Amino acid sequence: MRIGIDIGGTHTDGVLIDGTRLVAAAKIPTNHDHLLESISQVLHLILDGQDPAAVSALNLSTTLTTNAIITGKTDPVGMLVAGGPGIAPETYRIGDHFHLIPGSLDHLGSETAPLDVGQLEQAIADCSAQGVKRFAVAAKFSPRNPVHENLMRDRLGDRADFVSTGHLISGQLNFGRRIHTAYYNSAVWQIFRSFATALTASLSGFALQCEVNILKADGGTLPLARAQDAPVQSIFSGPAASVMGILAITAASTDLLMLDIGGTTSDIALFASGQPLLEREGIAIDGHPTLVRAIHVESIGIGGDSLISIDANGVRTGPQRLGPCMATGGPAPTLMDALNVLGLAAFGEVQRSCVGIEALAANHGLTGGQLAREAVDTAVNAISEKIEALIAHVNSKPVYTIHEILEDREINPKKIIVIGGPAAVFRNLLQMRLDMEVVVPPLHRVANAIGAALTRSTSHLTLTADTTKGKLSVPLLGIFRSIPRSFNLDTAIEEAKTLLKADLEQAGIAIQADEIQITQADSFNMVEGSYTSGKNIRVVAQVQPAVIARLDAGFAEVHITGRP
Amino acid sequence: MLKATSSLGVIFFPAYDWAISPTHPEREERLLYTQDQFREEGLFDIEGISEHRPLFATDQDIMRAHFCFPSVDAICTESHRISAGGAIQAARLVLEQETRRAFALVRPPGHHAMKVVHGNRGFCNINIEAVMVEWIREHYGRKRIAIVDTDCHHGDGTQDVYWHDPDVLFISMHQDGRTLYPGSGFPNENGGPKALGRTINIPLPPRTGDEGYLYALENVVLPILADFKPDLVINSAGQDNHYSDPITNMLFSAQGYARLNELLKPDIAVLEGGYSIKGALPYVNLGICLAMAGCDYSGVREPDYNAVALREEPDTLDYIKQSCGPLLEGYLHPAMGAFEKQGDYFIRERKIFYDTDGILEKQREELKDCDQCRGLRLIKTSSSRILPCLGVELPIECCPACEREGYEQFNRKNDDFLVAQLLDQKNKQYRYRPPR
Repeated sequence: MRIGIDIGGTHTDGVLIDGTRLVAAAKIPTNHDHLLESISQVLHLILDGQDPAAVSALNLSTTLTTNAIITGKTDPVGMLVAGGPGIAPETYRIGDHFHLIPGSLDHLGSETAPLDVGQLEQAIADCSAQGVKRFAVAAKFSPRNPVHENLMRDRLGDRADFVSTGHLISGQLNFGRRIHTAYYNSAVWQIFRSFATALTASLSGFALQCEVNILKADGGTLPLARAQDAPVQSIFSGPAASVMGILAITAASTDLLMLDIGGTTSDIALFASGQPLLEREGIAIDGHPTLVRAIHVESIGIGGDSLISIDANGVRTGPQRLGPCMATGGPAPTLMDALNVLGLAAFGEVQRSCVGIEALAANHGLTGGQLAREAVDTAVNAISEKIEALIAHVNSKPVYTIHEILEDREINPKKIIVIGGPAAVFRNLLQMRLDMEVVVPPLHRVANAIGAALTRSTSHLTLTADTTKGKLSVPLLGIFRSIPRSFNLDTAIEEAKTLLKADLEQAGIAIQADEIQITQADSFNMVEGSYTSGKNIRVVAQVQPAVIARLDAGFAEVHITGRP
Repeated sequence: MLKATSSLGVIFFPAYDWAISPTHPEREERLLYTQDQFREEGLFDIEGISEHRPLFATDQDIMRAHFCFPSVDAICTESHRISAGGAIQAARLVLEQETRRAFALVRPPGHHAMKVVHGNRGFCNINIEAVMVEWIREHYGRKRIAIVDTDCHHGDGTQDVYWHDPDVLFISMHQDGRTLYPGSGFPNENGGPKALGRTINIPLPPRTGDEGYLYALENVVLPILADFKPDLVINSAGQDNHYSDPITNMLFSAQGYARLNELLKPDIAVLEGGYSIKGALPYVNLGICLAMAGCDYSGVREPDYNAVALREEPDTLDYIKQSCGPLLEGYLHPAMGAFEKQGDYFIRERKIFYDTDGILEKQREELKDCDQCRGLRLIKTSSSRILPCLGVELPIECCPACEREGYEQFNRKNDDFLVAQLLDQKNKQYRYRPPR
């Protein structure tokens, strides 16, 4: 059996799944000050009457690191950066201990200026004097040559409790994102570590002996032990859990959309032939783009609790939220109240919705029905426009080969899966506005936890080889070694697959060779003068987000316990 | 984070699956390191700089700019259509005001492709700027357009396409034609009889550096643009003036290129040549993008940049300074060229060599000296590969007499031309004569 838990902003959801059968589900309010408390409550509910020894895996999606970063409750980090020519590295300043160390590499990884060890030592001494124990190091073009990052890390020695090394966090190019990703990884390291220790203790209290995995923003999982060195990978896993939930509760093999309607916001995700689309480079947090791989999710400030207001431009729905809807005791009319007035929903005390909407409408010479209709139309239009913009954006994404331009298939979803609290209410409204089949799957309220329970590990690596220089690099794994001139694209692809498989096995994850996808495989002739001097090879291999099972159709009868 | 002060759309299309031949300078690898540099610098994370995919140029798009013989398909592969489509996308972004400026970083290039096309000249098949300009005029009406060609080679193709068009000012800055392909681009090449002074050539001596180049820009190009007052400025942006370029002899740097674009303020830039793919392109392209977006580019520098070694000789600088006055004068008071006339027609007879494809074209151009309009143009062309073909061009404000005569020529049933193509700017008709 597998457990999935999604700690969200409002609710913590948990499910227990046996193979393809949902055994138990629970939903409780999240206790933000004691996340472990929320986990324990959910475990109590779903493990009631079950044998904990039969649980083989527990997958957890948590807001821990996201909230720590957004609320600024992170540790100070000594950020050591070697930039060189180009966009000023000062642009990427982050935190209170940001130090630029002279030294540079070019795009081929050749050293164009050696690292200034004197200034490096000075920077480390400054940080140490201020009690900084966590560090992050990043150099421009370090995925091409890690020499400067390695030197910075080695020089730190035991003056650091923990060092995040840029090229080991992502093999992708993007200096600014590398700096921010390494920084945040160190900034949440201690918080995550403490949480992991407490979690392990708490789970043994439940007699759970299972493997524990942390959800990532790309919808995959990471073993808890590995997550402790890469805690930044756990940011924004919540929307990813919902997206994976769609794959676990519906037959998703075509182009389709997910709309997850919450209280304050709604999330929109797009699937191409059943595959969730990923962010091109990585997700941004607190205004800083990172290299953390993530499912592309668009958020819109419209949800059941969105405030209805009237200004010079007419009726507005959201993005403000003052509280819950009036039907459940809120202070001002919301979208949910409007749905109540129109008879589309019967949530809480409908009469209070009517009174609130009527009062606001009367102030502006409208009837309650008119105001409610406008508020709902505004919301549905805004969501629909966001969806249309997302589809257009995805279809216009850049490509780099003639083949791709000629063969490119337009993504054209004809189905939208709606989940979240008010999902059912929106079914007909969306059906009328969008030319799409609208589906509200059973148990959509815990789709996120189901997604967490059933998703598998993801991984990726970037391999580059330069046969002129005779060098191969797989920065993410810290591999930089020599290759013979005969090294070619086929050997590179095999090597990438082998390395990815071996790395996953080392983490205790068994994977079939055919589960590894090659998403880029290019070989370029490198020419010096007028003869071919070698090949520049680039291969990207990944294990894409996927669920290990889809729930049986009969699962709908399970009662969701707990008091949301 | 960085923010663009003028939004910039970049159409980055490296055509990673196309080359003239495996070791040709115009090959798959050409923009690879530029892409690495862009990615590492996070260019597209800058607020206001966005990346876009190219459009695809149709037969009609190409036939507005060119006479292609024997057919468009015989001249163009998909790569050329996408490259031209990249330029069209750049124009669309700017004219639809989606972005303030746009840079089509596409390959293969186009500025050596002339009005008539039989094959590849100087790595170019179709003139992607010309296809773009005609697309602009088709969709947004008549415009005054300035094309400033900053490729190190004379933009002889673009010059030829707009030789007779007074609405398009073509300025080419390049290494002196006595020292470099294609061997043309002298100040006395200043436009056809109806477009005198609308072609300006600024040959620069070999080993011109940043100072000399920018001096010519500031003292010739910018004053001319201030006078011409174009609706759009297009930079035909070759990058082979760079000191590391393997097939030219100039001393221009990435800083120089960035400054050039900061001063020129092009609405649209389109990549042309530039074959120092590791030592120049990554830095030059970054510099151009930052300058066009109004971002600080002061940190962009080649690893081997050496300001002292890259300064031109004082003699070179003096020579450039002395040539600027006459060049400006040549725009303000253009000298009438030695145009040959037979009856009502101006006649040009030329032989044009297509170096890449080894084709020799023989061409006779007849431009009617009409006092009602710019005049009907007939181009009779044959080559070492093809029997005589006919191109019939009616200008945008074509008079009824020229229009009638043009259609008569195009619709003839008993002439000896293998193929005839109509390019009617007035009625927007672009087509081949149906086969007999």
